[in-house]
Amino acid sequence: MKMEKSTIAFNAIGYVFLSILSILCLVPFLVIITGSLSSETDIIASGFQLIPKHFSLDAYRAMFTNPAQIYQAYKVSILVTVAGTAVGLFLTSMAGYVLSRKEFKYRNGLAFYIYFTTLFSGGLIPWYILIVNYLDMKDTYTSLVVPGLLSAWNIILMKNFMKSIPDSIVESAKIDGAGDFRIYFRLILPLSTPGLATIGLFMALGYWNDWFTANLFITTDSKVPLQFLLYKILASASVLKTSIAGNLSPNFQPPTETLKMAAAVVVTGPIILLYPFLQRYFVKGLTIGAVKG
Amino acid sequence: MLHKRLKWTSAAVPLTLSAALLAACGGNSNNGGASASASASASTPAAGSPAASGASAGASAADTAAKPDTSKKVQLNWYVLGDAHADTPKVMDEWNKMLEKDLNATVKLNFTSWNDWQSKYNLLLASGEKIDMVFASSWANYYKYAKQGAFMDLTGLLPTYAPQTWKEVPQEDWDTATVGGKIYAVPNTNPEYTPNGLVYREDWREELNLPEIKDLDSLEAYMDGVKKNKKGVTPIGGKAWNEVYTLFTDYYDFKVYGGEGSVIASSSYDNPRDIVEYPFTPQFEEFVKRMKTWADKGFWASNTLSQQTEAGDLIKAGTGAIYWRNAPGAGGFITDVSKTNPDYKLAYFPFTRFHNYAIPTLPMANAMAIPKSSQNPERSLMVLDKLRNDPTYFRLMTYGIEGTHYSLEADGKTMDTPPAGMTVSKDWKPYDITSWGWRYQPNMLQTKGGWDGMDALNKEFAAESKPNIFDPITMDYEPVKSQVAAVNQVFKQYGQPLMMGLVPDPEKALETYRSKLKAAGVDKILDYVKEQANAYFDEKGIK
Amino acid sequence: MIGFFREVARNRVLFLMIAPALLFFALFSYIPMVGVYYAFTNYSFDGGLFGSPFVGFDNFKFLVSSGELVTLTRNTILYNIVFILLSNFLQLVCAIFLAELPGRWFKKTSQSVMFLPFFISFVLVGAFVLNLFSSQNGLVPSLMAQLGLPHYDFYMHTAPWKYIIVFFHVWKGLGYGTVIYLAAIMGFSEEYYEAAKIDGANIFQRVRSITIPMLVPTFILLILLSLGGILKGQFDLFYQIVGQNGSLFNSTDIIDTYVYRSLAVNFDIGMGTAAGLYQSLFGMLLVLCVNYIIRKTREDYALF
Repeated sequence: MKMEKSTIAFNAIGYVFLSILSILCLVPFLVIITGSLSSETDIIASGFQLIPKHFSLDAYRAMFTNPAQIYQAYKVSILVTVAGTAVGLFLTSMAGYVLSRKEFKYRNGLAFYIYFTTLFSGGLIPWYILIVNYLDMKDTYTSLVVPGLLSAWNIILMKNFMKSIPDSIVESAKIDGAGDFRIYFRLILPLSTPGLATIGLFMALGYWNDWFTANLFITTDSKVPLQFLLYKILASASVLKTSIAGNLSPNFQPPTETLKMAAAVVVTGPIILLYPFLQRYFVKGLTIGAVKG
Repeated sequence: MLHKRLKWTSAAVPLTLSAALLAACGGNSNNGGASASASASASTPAAGSPAASGASAGASAADTAAKPDTSKKVQLNWYVLGDAHADTPKVMDEWNKMLEKDLNATVKLNFTSWNDWQSKYNLLLASGEKIDMVFASSWANYYKYAKQGAFMDLTGLLPTYAPQTWKEVPQEDWDTATVGGKIYAVPNTNPEYTPNGLVYREDWREELNLPEIKDLDSLEAYMDGVKKNKKGVTPIGGKAWNEVYTLFTDYYDFKVYGGEGSVIASSSYDNPRDIVEYPFTPQFEEFVKRMKTWADKGFWASNTLSQQTEAGDLIKAGTGAIYWRNAPGAGGFITDVSKTNPDYKLAYFPFTRFHNYAIPTLPMANAMAIPKSSQNPERSLMVLDKLRNDPTYFRLMTYGIEGTHYSLEADGKTMDTPPAGMTVSKDWKPYDITSWGWRYQPNMLQTKGGWDGMDALNKEFAAESKPNIFDPITMDYEPVKSQVAAVNQVFKQYGQPLMMGLVPDPEKALETYRSKLKAAGVDKILDYVKEQANAYFDEKGIK
Repeated sequence: MIGFFREVARNRVLFLMIAPALLFFALFSYIPMVGVYYAFTNYSFDGGLFGSPFVGFDNFKFLVSSGELVTLTRNTILYNIVFILLSNFLQLVCAIFLAELPGRWFKKTSQSVMFLPFFISFVLVGAFVLNLFSSQNGLVPSLMAQLGLPHYDFYMHTAPWKYIIVFFHVWKGLGYGTVIYLAAIMGFSEEYYEAAKIDGANIFQRVRSITIPMLVPTFILLILLSLGGILKGQFDLFYQIVGQNGSLFNSTDIIDTYVYRSLAVNFDIGMGTAAGLYQSLFGMLLVLCVNYIIRKTREDYALF
């Protein structure tokens, strides 16, 4: 089939547009990789470079002085991410499905009930008291997973994705005698793969990037997830900006610039591979094909 | 688009959790020098100490009145600031073994880590979490928390459960921990001096034949010489704020009340009752005009207020020439540079030389307190008593395991790090946790190989020492808290750029700054501080 | 009430399916909401939440007393409106191209690459900005010097910072937002496109008359979801890029950074909660209004 002129123009614009944006996103990351492989003096004296002046693995060496701790943190992060995403995705998709069912009478009210939590909150302190003093979750893995399981944002997005599935599918299944849960599990879920992939990706990224919960609840070193481990290293520099700095012993080593960059590389690690993996669910026609077939 | 649920949840206390910069008053330091006079040790408990016989298994009924009951095994939950050392679990295992034998208790030591420590500290206290012991300090809002009732009143408990500490801490130290007639914390005992000052490149000064630094003019001459002759060097690299701010307060001898964001000060040490708003003084005007010329000469970068880099790192990189440190911190930094850059020669100019006096650090700058939520205050005090006074407990907790983290010199009070027979490698890091709260000078060890100028400095300070009459004034600012908040923000928005000379027209900027301060209610704070400070001066008989 | 129970009985399974979510929010969101009462008390540890003295609106005073609240609120809203609109627009365009362009390898790579900024912490973004614009050896001033442009010190002017902040915000969320639109497009029925092709519509026409209209509900939904938080968030972005640089505050100050500066030294639970409450109420008002208007015009698109 010959390509239309307009298609050629569209493609050209698209390639240029996406290429520019990709470069804008890629270059800083390359600079970070370069920076993490440079010597500290070069970074301080002459700023960031695209090619290291003096190649050095010091930052990685410093980071892996205690490799067991990094591996343990990787393990915790992966465990928390997998568990949280699996359970969270299941609950989110169920809630989203119910809210998307037009015959469900209270769907608007319940959607507001859920959405309202994003508008209004009691603040950190009561939330912390609840989790620590009443749910007794301080210093547990549960505290890393449970409080982040659901978000109004994800449920509403999920509902929106499911809304585009034709009602006729649900209706015909009902006529065939299928129950609500069965419809959801056997019909709606397979039809919602792009939505599930999106929300699943967001959840996984959220869990992976979350240092905040660990910051509040985890006090045992072996339960520290990767992001928090590195965040602790990075943020310890902030104490130098205060007059407490005078208290610190000469042994206190603030993170070097190169260490900060090496941390970014290590953190990004395996999670960046998740996206290409999920990409096969972002293919047009997959859902419709599944229904027809 | 990056919303996360946690972001929402934390919304009502949005910023404290990102809190990084938290100014605090006072300052304290690392090893100030120790002269060991070992008292009780674990194996030979001092007679008469209630904790002496340890677990009360054998205690007779008659004894129990005098000896606290330790028959119930408890786990104590302790919190200190900062981060753990990789070997902390090992150290704590050893420590708990001894403790279990002696007091039938174990301690779980938790750390706030340095990021956001202030908000986490606040959260730990506010949530009523069950904590038995926590670090406390005048610069960590001790007086405010004590007044609000966050800590347990120890006045009645101390003589029974921490008798040795109770006896040996001087009365004036207890006074600094007293709020409303009650003692809420056990201050550390480690008299020392922590004045501000500047580390500079002595080798450059000599090479360029610049005058010795002893006042503002010679400091300017030094920076000028360095700027002109050393290409690519910015005299104060990175963020220059600390350098300039402390220079201001110490050069004019302003004694600021309430930490960095405050603008209320006594006009000098000798006139404590002359309390002013310093931005309205002629000295301030003179200073900001001078700083404008310094900024224009390029003594620091125009983006210095956005910078995160430490001026000290730039000295190490060869592109900086000045670094603010307090005296012990300077000692540490100079020692450090002598290892990384052996060809450099650094010197230190303490700001005490502007007015030739030094003030010892407030004991309450480092202390341990027991939160109200504690289930075992008695046992915690007993453990603290042991930690402080028993050298075996003290040294294990503070310096780590002998032979692994340090080794003791023959004199018994100097330690070698790394220990004899070991070399500094990537696997070995000096044992270092925030032990400030339980410092007790007689039990402290001196590190071998420190900066040799330190002793001379300490002698200099001791010779010109004057009593600390300002820091013990305990104000909590509760009645003027909205004004304090408003002034803090005006200070950052208008005061800092002005003091750094980063404004086009200092006179106009000064006018703006002053009018914004007035609008923020600075006069109300002044009245409050005057009232509180004068009451204190009356009480203490300070003219 | 009876109607409610009848409904529950009829849709028992559906209620069971949504129950975990409802319980979750009751527990982790609604119960802690009692904490807003802190905003009206003078906190004391003896009294706790309900025993501390009631002080009315005293804790809100520090927001108002400087007279900057209006400017700050305006700044915050304007920044967020630009963030929301520009981000969504670019994400939408990216998603359309990614959906329509041929070349799997290219699409895969560019999509993955666009996710990279999401992993770069704002601490590092702040370091980048310094390296780009520093008057000493920053990349941009050096480039300008080489091009013979007059010397321009970014840190002495407030004007460029608006654009710098907007740029980095959009940059950081690009990959993230694109996925939502892409997933939405993937859910559209291929039949519409086939029909349009048969009618002779070229690709521009197909995008304009099928893809874009069908994306409008998603677009509106995302905007509505973002509006609720319009007065909060992005603290890290501003704080790490601008830092404590008072000379740039005129154009870069938002409520969060202001409150942070005010309370950094002497934190107060009541005042912190008060600031959060102001932000929440304002955001809520805004969302309710916008949602009301949408409900009146296009009911399907409304959030609730």
